[in-house]
Amino acid sequence: MSAPKLVVERVGKRFDVDGQGSTVAIEDLSLDVREGEFLSIVGPSGCGKTTVLNLLAGLETPTTGRVAIDGRAITGPAPERGVMFQDYALFPWQTVEGNVGFGLMHGPAGDGMSDAARAERVRHCIDLVGLAGSERKYPHQLSGGMRQRTALARLMALEPQVLLMDEPLAALDAQTRIILQGELLRIWGQERPAAERRTVVFITHAIDEAVFLADRVAVMTSHPGRLKALIDVPLPRPRDDSTRATPQFQALAQQIWGLIRDEAYRATVT
Amino acid sequence: MRLRAGDLAQGAMLPLALVAIWQAWGMAAGVARVPLPSRIVAAAAELVGSGDLPLAIVQSVMRVFGGFAVAAALAIPIGLAMGTSSRVERAIDPLVESFRPIAAIAVLPLAILWLGTGTSAAIAIVAYAAFFPIVVNTVAGAQRVPPTLLRAAATMGLTRAATLRTVVIPSALPSIGTGLRIGMGVAWTAIVAAELAVGAKAGGGGSGGVGQMMFVYYAYSIELNRIVVCMIAVGLVAFALDRAIRGALALAMPWSRR
Repeated sequence: MSAPKLVVERVGKRFDVDGQGSTVAIEDLSLDVREGEFLSIVGPSGCGKTTVLNLLAGLETPTTGRVAIDGRAITGPAPERGVMFQDYALFPWQTVEGNVGFGLMHGPAGDGMSDAARAERVRHCIDLVGLAGSERKYPHQLSGGMRQRTALARLMALEPQVLLMDEPLAALDAQTRIILQGELLRIWGQERPAAERRTVVFITHAIDEAVFLADRVAVMTSHPGRLKALIDVPLPRPRDDSTRATPQFQALAQQIWGLIRDEAYRATVT
Repeated sequence: MRLRAGDLAQGAMLPLALVAIWQAWGMAAGVARVPLPSRIVAAAAELVGSGDLPLAIVQSVMRVFGGFAVAAALAIPIGLAMGTSSRVERAIDPLVESFRPIAAIAVLPLAILWLGTGTSAAIAIVAYAAFFPIVVNTVAGAQRVPPTLLRAAATMGLTRAATLRTVVIPSALPSIGTGLRIGMGVAWTAIVAAELAVGAKAGGGGSGGVGQMMFVYYAYSIELNRIVVCMIAVGLVAFALDRAIRGALALAMPWSRR
């Protein structure tokens, strides 16, 4: 097996609380993500899963340990590691087109590209997420699902090596979620050979979502955030709605629920 | 921005009623010099007809534009620097906040001493007055850029300069616009006050703008109706300028039109 794409090695992250010492978000966490792998991270709220994502994005630096991509230490954000934020982080003053092309127009991802090539990439990404016809709309004119699609198109337009997604579907209603889970797998390229897929780290608190999407599920526990288990998801691809009905899917979801149930229960009564 | 006839009628009701009461009361009391709507209309016709008032308004408007432009050119960059860097803010904020409560009219003697009684002193006073609301609102706008948008820009690899241009400024624009509107308002209070005072020192004359015109009618010829005409003229011009700024802001921010 080749070297992992992303490495999280014995990482600890401590946040200073104003004048009151500090809280430990993550403790001694190690995790490898393989090239082309779809990895989901699940865990109850407060388990530090978003912190793991921010460390990989370079938006935060570890207090101890190290995070690396292709063997190089991650020292800051870079367009090779694209991020999709929980609230989408669309620019309200940009249209769908402007948002999707933002990184190509104003960041290094578009360096050396002609205007025509940029426009073509934007066009392609908008088509990919099914937003053709809405190019000139502003975010406030879009539904939640359309905003999510815009954010996904913006992420794809950068052609990052690694896609970091922080609960991107959490704000959507149940039906839209299921539809977009399928879309996400299509866009990721589950129908293509594994070698052509991009590496994805996907944060979620929904166990069925984690199982449906991922090759492996990392289960975290909280206070402090630690990795509790890494579960392989050997469900065949391409996956579709029938996947959810298989006994194997159900068994995996049950297994993961068993790992976090006690903690999730405690979180509801404290 | 569209004015509907119904809204217009509703908005005009109270002012018209007040004017009618004023006229009735004045006619009943029968005092010679007291300003009355009918006398004001006559005075307005004279002042506009002679060209004196339009000329004075143009003079004042030019000074307001000059001072306002100076204020905006200084306040927006300084405000952006303060709003995006806590070091710059810590360095400049005490200075801004200690001068801000000092009314423009209070620094007028210094302006006259250094710049004389001409246009440059008037522009300096206007710039001083308009600077503070613009800078304070620009700082607030730049500080209130949603952090997640800054993070998004960072993950796309934007430089600091590109982030300022493409994220901070558009995000702060509504707030900067509010500062510009308030700044334009205080620019008018400042210019009238400055021209009044300069008029007092210069003892009248033809180039003092609408403020000096008011001073002359107040101190020399005691024509209260004409002073009211000047007040109304300033109000109308300031209102029109505010609408123009609002229109320009709406054009600059098509995403905020709902």
